[in-house]
Amino acid sequence: MQCEQFEQILEEQDGGALPDPAIMHVEACEPCRALLADFGAIRDVALELGAEGIAPPERVWISVRNQLEAEGLIRELTRGLTHDPQAAPPSTGAGWWTVFQRPAVAGAFLGLVLAASVTVGYWSNSPQTAMQPQLAAQQETSPVPSADSVFKEEILTVGSDSIVGLQRQDTAVSDSIRRNLGIVDNFIQVCEKSVREEPDNPMAREYLYGAYQQKAELLATAMNRSIPGGLQ
Amino acid sequence: MNTTSKILRVSALGAVMAGFVLAASPAHADRIEKHFLVQNKPKITVRNSSGRIQVKSWSRNEVLVAWTNASGKAVVETEQAGNRVEVATRPIENGDSADDNKTDFEITVPAESELNVRTDSGNVTVDSVHGDMTFDTVGGNLQLSDVNGYMVVKTIDGSLICTRCSGKLEANSISGNVQMVQPALDSVRVQTSSGNILFDGSFLSRGIYIMKNFSGTIEVHFSSSDSFDVNAASLKGDVINQASFKPDTHGSPRPASKWGHSLLGTMNDGHAKVELTSFSGTIKILKRD
Repeated sequence: MQCEQFEQILEEQDGGALPDPAIMHVEACEPCRALLADFGAIRDVALELGAEGIAPPERVWISVRNQLEAEGLIRELTRGLTHDPQAAPPSTGAGWWTVFQRPAVAGAFLGLVLAASVTVGYWSNSPQTAMQPQLAAQQETSPVPSADSVFKEEILTVGSDSIVGLQRQDTAVSDSIRRNLGIVDNFIQVCEKSVREEPDNPMAREYLYGAYQQKAELLATAMNRSIPGGLQ
Repeated sequence: MNTTSKILRVSALGAVMAGFVLAASPAHADRIEKHFLVQNKPKITVRNSSGRIQVKSWSRNEVLVAWTNASGKAVVETEQAGNRVEVATRPIENGDSADDNKTDFEITVPAESELNVRTDSGNVTVDSVHGDMTFDTVGGNLQLSDVNGYMVVKTIDGSLICTRCSGKLEANSISGNVQMVQPALDSVRVQTSSGNILFDGSFLSRGIYIMKNFSGTIEVHFSSSDSFDVNAASLKGDVINQASFKPDTHGSPRPASKWGHSLLGTMNDGHAKVELTSFSGTIKILKRD
């Protein structure tokens, strides 16, 4: 079984039991094992979180969807999905996808994906990735930006959308959140530089992961405090 | 007959108005007090977006909540269910500014009480309360004195000063400073990004002390009788040490980091465990005078 086939099965199974050939493949294939673990972690965290909150910007979902489609992780039939709660999910493949559309998941999701992207970034420097020239070429020629660049951009810009409502309520608080978003963004950039310079340094990667996590938590706080009754 | 009917109508109207007043007391510049009789160890929850919150203890089995709202544009709602007392401020009209909502609280609780405080920009002081506590602020500073329990603090850029605190402390901030002065804490997990961390006290036997930041200073003061293992590392900053450590005698599975500046060692018998980590900040391990 090839990796592409495994990804297709993974999508179709929607968290269910994998068939024996897929299990055999994943036991022997490190990247697919990591992909399976990532899906499981994202699904678990998403299901644990509540459904309350406010919607993240539409472009976040569009970027995520485009990237997942470009990488073949979801199929075209999910194209009809939006985060409109009235829209009925047309396929089982939408099962885990729709949990991302719970607004409260945004921060945790971004944190997880960014952490995953860090790991991917780390792997990209390892000899293991050198065995996958096809994937690397696909990423280079793809008209869609890479997951890493999409989420890097989102993580640095999503804050400005999240605290619009907050500004109306308490300028001191919104100023504080903006200022600290700037601090965390700066940390992220410093950590990323450090990880690029020393990809084997676990401490640098740990700090980068922590900075991403901190940003996600800060955005969650901003969202929570920006809605009426958010302090409750 | 008409007069009697009029009196009844006025009385009924008065009763209804009094009911509204009792249900949600509109705050105004005058100080308002409410008393709640409780049994041992009540749990008090306070939600106040802006304004000072002072909590102190007394020997009575009673919670006293007093507040002042200068603008008169906020309502303070209170609720009691057995040993649970909840206090929340909300604006009378949506869109009121933070100044309009600013409400100062003075709350007196039994010494054994649990606290749950959430505020945006109000400063919080707690004095001589023994019980588990959680604090969640954006810019509000916290000052805890002579408190005991499991304390969890989450703030964006508020600072924390913990004086003579005992028990366990978990604090997380982005740009706030954290100071532990004369602590008797046996578990410390403190993290701030750009803030400074100060620990000026004794490391208790079996205690675990984890302090981590990104760019601020971490400063711990020790006495020669303290007994602890230390693992300190700063990736881009310095580690300044005044202690005479011997090599780790407990066979730590983790060697000193080969990245940046690091220090691994044992003071006396190494009963406590101290982990200090910074990205670019300076770590200071200083001997107390």
